[in-house]
Amino acid sequence: MGSDTMHPRVDAIVREARAAVLAARTAADLEQIRVRFLGRQGALTQLLRSLGTLSPEERPRVGAAANEAKRELEQLLEARQAEAVEAERRAQRERERPDLTLPGRRPPAGAVHPLTRVQDEIVEIFAGLGFSVAEGPEIETDYYNFEALNFPVDHPARDMQDTFFLPGALLLRTHTSPVQIRTMQAERPPVRVICPGRVYRRDADITHSPMFNQVEGLAVDRQTSMADLKATLELFAREMFGARSRIRFRPSFFPFTEPSAEVDVLCFLCGGEGCRVCKQSGWLEILGSGMVHPGVLRNVGYDPEEVIGWAFGMGIERIAMLKYGIDDIRLFFENDVRFLRQFA
Amino acid sequence: MKIPYGWIRDFVALERSAAEAADRLTNAGIEVGSVTPIAPDLRGVVIGEIEAIERELGESHGHRLVLCRVSAGRERFSVVSGAPNTRAGVRAAFAPPGAVLPGNRQIGIAKIRGVESQGMLCSERELGLGEEHEAGLLTLEAGAPLGRDLVEHLGLDDHVLEIEITPNRPDCLSVVGVARELAALTGARFSYPALELKESDEAVEALARVRIEAPDLCHRFTARVISGVRVAPSPAWMAARLRASGLRPIANVIDITNYVMWELGQPLHAFDWAAVTDHTIVVRRAGDGERIVTLDGQDRTLDGSMLVIADPARAVGIAGVMGGANTEVSTRTTRVLLEAAYFLPASIRRTSAALGLKSDAAYRFERGADLEGLADASARAAQLMAQVAGGVVARGVIDAWPRPRTPVRIGLRMSRIERLIGAAPERGEVRRILDGLGLPARDGGPDLEVEVPSFRRDVAMEDDLVEEVIRVWGYDRIPSVLVDRPTSVVHQPMSLRQERTVRHVLTGAGLLEATTYSFGDPGRSEALRSPVDPEPIALVNPLSQDAALLRAHPLEGLLGAVAVNVRRQQPNVRLFEIGRTYARADGATREPRWVAIALAGARTEPAWYAERAAIDVYDAKGLAELVVSAFGIETRPGAGRLGGFEPDAHGALAAPDGAVVAEFGEVATGVRERFGIELPVYGAAVSLDALAAVPVAPRRYRPLPRFPAVQRDLAFVVEDRALTAGQLEAEIRAAAGPLLRSLAVFDVFRMPDGRRSLAWRLTFQADDRTLTDDEVNRIQDGVARALSARFAVVHRGT
Repeated sequence: MGSDTMHPRVDAIVREARAAVLAARTAADLEQIRVRFLGRQGALTQLLRSLGTLSPEERPRVGAAANEAKRELEQLLEARQAEAVEAERRAQRERERPDLTLPGRRPPAGAVHPLTRVQDEIVEIFAGLGFSVAEGPEIETDYYNFEALNFPVDHPARDMQDTFFLPGALLLRTHTSPVQIRTMQAERPPVRVICPGRVYRRDADITHSPMFNQVEGLAVDRQTSMADLKATLELFAREMFGARSRIRFRPSFFPFTEPSAEVDVLCFLCGGEGCRVCKQSGWLEILGSGMVHPGVLRNVGYDPEEVIGWAFGMGIERIAMLKYGIDDIRLFFENDVRFLRQFA
Repeated sequence: MKIPYGWIRDFVALERSAAEAADRLTNAGIEVGSVTPIAPDLRGVVIGEIEAIERELGESHGHRLVLCRVSAGRERFSVVSGAPNTRAGVRAAFAPPGAVLPGNRQIGIAKIRGVESQGMLCSERELGLGEEHEAGLLTLEAGAPLGRDLVEHLGLDDHVLEIEITPNRPDCLSVVGVARELAALTGARFSYPALELKESDEAVEALARVRIEAPDLCHRFTARVISGVRVAPSPAWMAARLRASGLRPIANVIDITNYVMWELGQPLHAFDWAAVTDHTIVVRRAGDGERIVTLDGQDRTLDGSMLVIADPARAVGIAGVMGGANTEVSTRTTRVLLEAAYFLPASIRRTSAALGLKSDAAYRFERGADLEGLADASARAAQLMAQVAGGVVARGVIDAWPRPRTPVRIGLRMSRIERLIGAAPERGEVRRILDGLGLPARDGGPDLEVEVPSFRRDVAMEDDLVEEVIRVWGYDRIPSVLVDRPTSVVHQPMSLRQERTVRHVLTGAGLLEATTYSFGDPGRSEALRSPVDPEPIALVNPLSQDAALLRAHPLEGLLGAVAVNVRRQQPNVRLFEIGRTYARADGATREPRWVAIALAGARTEPAWYAERAAIDVYDAKGLAELVVSAFGIETRPGAGRLGGFEPDAHGALAAPDGAVVAEFGEVATGVRERFGIELPVYGAAVSLDALAAVPVAPRRYRPLPRFPAVQRDLAFVVEDRALTAGQLEAEIRAAAGPLLRSLAVFDVFRMPDGRRSLAWRLTFQADDRTLTDDEVNRIQDGVARALSARFAVVHRGT
């Protein structure tokens, strides 16, 4: 609509249309304008339709001007329409703007039990070292729980593991060591197994639970030694407690190992500096271990001159308590959801 | 066991501090739990003598108060005392003004009953040395040097080691045993207590006799007789050592038996010789129902498995456990029959356990006393009775020894040390270490031959010697060397993968994993039990009544956890547990493995977007289905058999072969009330054993459909209340034929008149063509007609 000298009638329509477009607020207004001027009954459409009534001289001039005006009006409407739609879209978004400080729509988070987490970690480390998992019954006989493991009848060594008895000369296993016996009975060396599971001792206070979880490991082979045991447990400690972890062997006594060693791990809370948890010693007592007693090997039909074995065991609860700073063992078994959710 | 460090140093020439010695012991497997000063807070207390009682001051709290003159050597003090044993001529612990007692109690000049008291005469308890207070002042022997510092005089500037001895080392339940260890560990010189026994001309055989009638239980019994003893309080040095060791001084003769037990590890017993009928000891089994009053005043009934020390008339002691009151040493005793014996450890342990009677003697005997060394203990005690109690020791010892010990010699190969440990000390060092431990080694056997003394019952084979050597050599010197081993495939058990899958699926569904006790409560267990279930397994010695059984129902533990949470204002509970139940069937025990699920409260925690819908039985069913389908198993309805559910809201999922793999339902109202849960609880139990037994076809890919699907909805009003969705679905499938690809109930509601309306979405699809509307319409009409014809339902249109 460059000039208003095309034709007075066209000019008038164009002026009116331009004013209307300028005044239009919404896409709907623009659509109304389009209908008013360019629609079937629109002013420009009417004009073009009436060209025939004009003189032959006037006809081409007015026709050209009207067509030009129509094209230009269409362009103007199109441009303004896009703007209006965009403005409306923006206004709409503004009205419906999300409040991103509201909490997200979160599916409920499940969690595995902290004891499972710790046990899985341990099992995974040893699985990576070529150990397979072995399981066994929790209801055991005296033979598998004690006798085969070199605890003589009526020996004070049995006081180390206060036992729950069941009718029919049965008992609840006090350690997962019976699984070692069953594994050795079923397999020929080399044996490399890890035995996680529930065990029971007749004892209850804030650090002792009548039911708790253990992981024990056993390796029997022609060529192995206490040095191999030490190296394996060092690897384990570094995986479990961090690359700077160290271990220390101290002589101890277990009926089924000879020599036996208590294994301390450098306190992972203070790095060995000494803190409340390690009672200022810098070390945490975490594992028991030793070389499988020749009598135990003989009990399962192995020849202690041919094969050598080592074994170790640890309590999952103790490690979990240290790792997560839990001071009462009963929390593990109460299953307060506020406790369990902390391990999601 | 508590041992004053100074006592240990009587037998080992050691310059180290108590803490250093403790460290060395701990690192060699003799764990020292604590090192504590005997009298940390005692300053300025001296030995004083009560020269005279000057004035009576009347009564106070039932005690006679007196003013006395106390001499502390150079100085004299006026002191008020209320102790019953305040007498002229007595030497006692005296705290002059300026002294400090435990608890930072500063002693000065005090006014008592208007009289000035310059300092204080002290009891054992006031000095922090023991519990004794009622008996009065801590007194000292007549010759005790006046004015001397009490701490110095009694050797109280010392530390007590609290030693935890493992059951294999009874030899270290003694001062001498620990001293021997320390000598071996440090290279310091060890000296055995000097035995200088003066005997009289009177032969012991003329004074007493011993007969062992149960040589299987009593391998040796020795008796000595000490005449002319004066039973009186022990000398202060002995009392002080006993107190520091946690033993209560009683009277010299009795204290000596305890002192020697502590020193040498051999329990001893002193009988009043005059009270022993015919002065004859008979070691025999008790009669069934035989009774004896022991030294602690208890009347005890024995049985034929127990060993007694008797005289010809009656039992005078329970062998190795506790003496009898009838022959107890008293102040009237002048002649003592001293027992030193060896009893079969297992017999002592059984007797002590059966009677519920523990004693320091039984503790040592059940671990194994020193069969040969007991004679030294007898001589040492007799020697002390002469020195301390003025006794005269009869010549010789009655030694009934039916079972002498066969010498134990064990060969030790250097190669065995190397093979077992992965390193070994030099042969010379091995010998030195063994000698130091009292295990003399000489060349012989394969490499070394070791003579094992009677006090080391625990050393029975070559590997025991290896441990002894390495223990002293140092566990820290064991190298850390991984052994090369061939690579092999490690197979993990199916159960492990199963449990991981379950955890993955259920934590993904927002459940929390629980771990509950395997124990069961009789009341709760009974409520959960179905009539066909066997009796649960009962513990013989439960810790408490509510944990007297092993649980037999997979939900018992979880329902307990729900109860705990609800009680703690956590009503929205969605828990699962992977665990076992325990049952006895056909003489064998079984431990079936389960996934248990328990749900209560709202499905979600309150949130701005969440519907607060309450959990219902379909949640339990859905989770059971989720678990089962994670193993690629399709299920159909089955019949549940677990107890504890509402009968009308209890369902089961069966594998294609009909085996039930899971059950679910609403926990019966009576059951949850028994657990103290007031809101509805839903549960499910998936049998991991049953799942493992279902054959599963390997997963195969199905080609994605190439032609479009057509969906149609069908809704019916169900007139017949007994009619189930499952029955209708089965009919829909049958009537729709093979082009029906999926079928889903998408709407269920109950109309105001009580009838149900159910709506399904049917998806049709063909593998080889695009279905036409006509084709699908025909099937749909056929389905609607079939259902209406077969059941009392009204088609509500599409």
